[in-house]
Amino acid sequence: MADRLGVEDVLGPEGLAALEGLGPLELVAAVIAPRPVRSLPAVIEAAGAGLACAFPARKAAVLVAGGGGEGRPPGADPVPVVRIPPAGPALRGRAVLAGVAASRHLGARATAIVDAGLASFVPEWLDRLLAPVVDGTADYVTPVYARAPTEGTLTSNLLAPLARAVYGRRVHEVLGGCLALSAGFTEKLPPAEDWTDELDGHGVEMRLLVEALTGAHAVVEVPLGPKQLDPGAATTDLSRTLADAVGALFRTMERYTLAWQDLLGSAPVLRRGAPPDLLPPGGEVRRDRMVRAFHLGLKDLLPVWEQVMPDDTLRQLYPLGLLEPDEFRFPAPVWARVVCDFAVAYHERRLPRDHLLRALTPLYLGRVAAFVSEVQVGPPARVAEALEQVGRAFEAEKPSLSARWR
Amino acid sequence: MQQTWMEIILTAVHDVGRRLAYVTPRLLAALTLVAIGWVVAVAVRRLATRLLGAADLDGRCRRSGLSMILVRGGIRTGPTEIVGRVLFWAVFLIGLLTALEALEMPGTAGALAGALALVPHVVVAILVLIGGWILAQFLAQATVIAAVNAQVAGASLLAASVRWMVLIVAAAIALTELGVAREMVLLTFGIAFGGAVLALALAFGLGARELAREALEGYLRRAREEGESISHV
Repeated sequence: MADRLGVEDVLGPEGLAALEGLGPLELVAAVIAPRPVRSLPAVIEAAGAGLACAFPARKAAVLVAGGGGEGRPPGADPVPVVRIPPAGPALRGRAVLAGVAASRHLGARATAIVDAGLASFVPEWLDRLLAPVVDGTADYVTPVYARAPTEGTLTSNLLAPLARAVYGRRVHEVLGGCLALSAGFTEKLPPAEDWTDELDGHGVEMRLLVEALTGAHAVVEVPLGPKQLDPGAATTDLSRTLADAVGALFRTMERYTLAWQDLLGSAPVLRRGAPPDLLPPGGEVRRDRMVRAFHLGLKDLLPVWEQVMPDDTLRQLYPLGLLEPDEFRFPAPVWARVVCDFAVAYHERRLPRDHLLRALTPLYLGRVAAFVSEVQVGPPARVAEALEQVGRAFEAEKPSLSARWR
Repeated sequence: MQQTWMEIILTAVHDVGRRLAYVTPRLLAALTLVAIGWVVAVAVRRLATRLLGAADLDGRCRRSGLSMILVRGGIRTGPTEIVGRVLFWAVFLIGLLTALEALEMPGTAGALAGALALVPHVVVAILVLIGGWILAQFLAQATVIAAVNAQVAGASLLAASVRWMVLIVAAAIALTELGVAREMVLLTFGIAFGGAVLALALAFGLGARELAREALEGYLRRAREEGESISHV
């Protein structure tokens, strides 16, 4: 049994055959395509063009990991584009592991991982992602997108502040859809059998981030443009999205308990480039529907929430049930407390885990409604201020979270 | 005439005395057996509780997640206490049945053998009920969470319907296993279940056709609106 991530454990025979004669390479862009999406050809093209333009003297290739890609004629791309179907069922985590393991097998010193559904991906982004790894300043590069305050609210109000409080590092994107890794980082990744809990959904990407945050790895953020996903790439079921992303973060908390329990406070991650622009809100946000979802949860899900949250947390939620959409507020400290209660209940398996994570949905929608009403008035600086408040609220909850996490 | 009258009285008194002499020791023996059964049952319960406590059964069940399954099923008692209670009632029941046998009364003969023959069926029926209870709680919880997340009004009612449906099915299976009026249980269950399904079909097909259409349209519209207005990750 190998003690490191090996290509034989994650690629099928077709993928292994495709790698023969391809290496050694210096740079790899692995496009993650577990399912077919419309934006895949454009992402492959952008990745290939990015490698060819930004690193013309370096031997590079685009690997399409997953069953979602069609074959491309030889010579149609500026760099080789190779399909590497992973072994086993078409799961997102398998595709990511296949891309990382194949890149390591080919001897690449820098690997970019790009989601095939990231429709706004352009060649310049690949340069920005790979450059810090190529010049040796980063082991893990994570994007920062130009976003409207109403975009990425699960990241900005839950994933990022919880990761900040738990792991002590302030990253803006937790599941950014693209990232870059150094050979030093991929060399240390554990073998394939150690990832079996993470193969479905975003678990592998979450764990890669936490490996970087908890290990002695240089983490760098690079500003990119606006993030747009192919509508066919993302699920429309919010509770499923939430269960996938939040469950992945909670699982890392179980796996890396010793690394985070005694940490207090947080430090920013090194950023390479100017901070991204704040975009104006796009489209109407139906806060009334979100508040109604919260009220419905308070009415019908209370027996479930009572198994998750202690009385003192619930007592802080009851008054929110009386607020109309126009005056609805969900203070950041209460929200941080709620999320930490859910994390502890998840750890203690008080409910079937999928039920528990999905039961968070109405609370999350309530928090989003409050956040949107908080930041839609006032100057743009108000957004950063509000997000900082959320981050500090989660940090304030950290000692209690550590004490309850047994 | 006088002699006959005396004979009848003496015969009756003699018969009663004979019957009392027959019944009294058996009654005393039965009461003694009940008392012994109770004492042994208490002793077995205490011994089992201590042994299982020393083996840290509660802790092991908590760590393995078994305790959580019981809590989710609405059972707050610890596994050690549950095993103790089950052993108590099993031993005490054997004592009661033995006492019935000791009475040697018509109708009680073979009670112990009959009861022992029923034990496997009772165990299966209890397991079916426990499994049905846990499944009912699980499905009801899944239903209420899914319904609230889909913003369906009356989520609790929907969940309660699912819970009772599963419990009724489990009860019907358990009664069938016990052989209690098997045909009647099957017939009653079939009529009730079929009737409920037919009523729902008629309600949606005729009475609430418009309502069902509006609910479906509203759900699809909401999904579209959510997809357009906000991105979460």
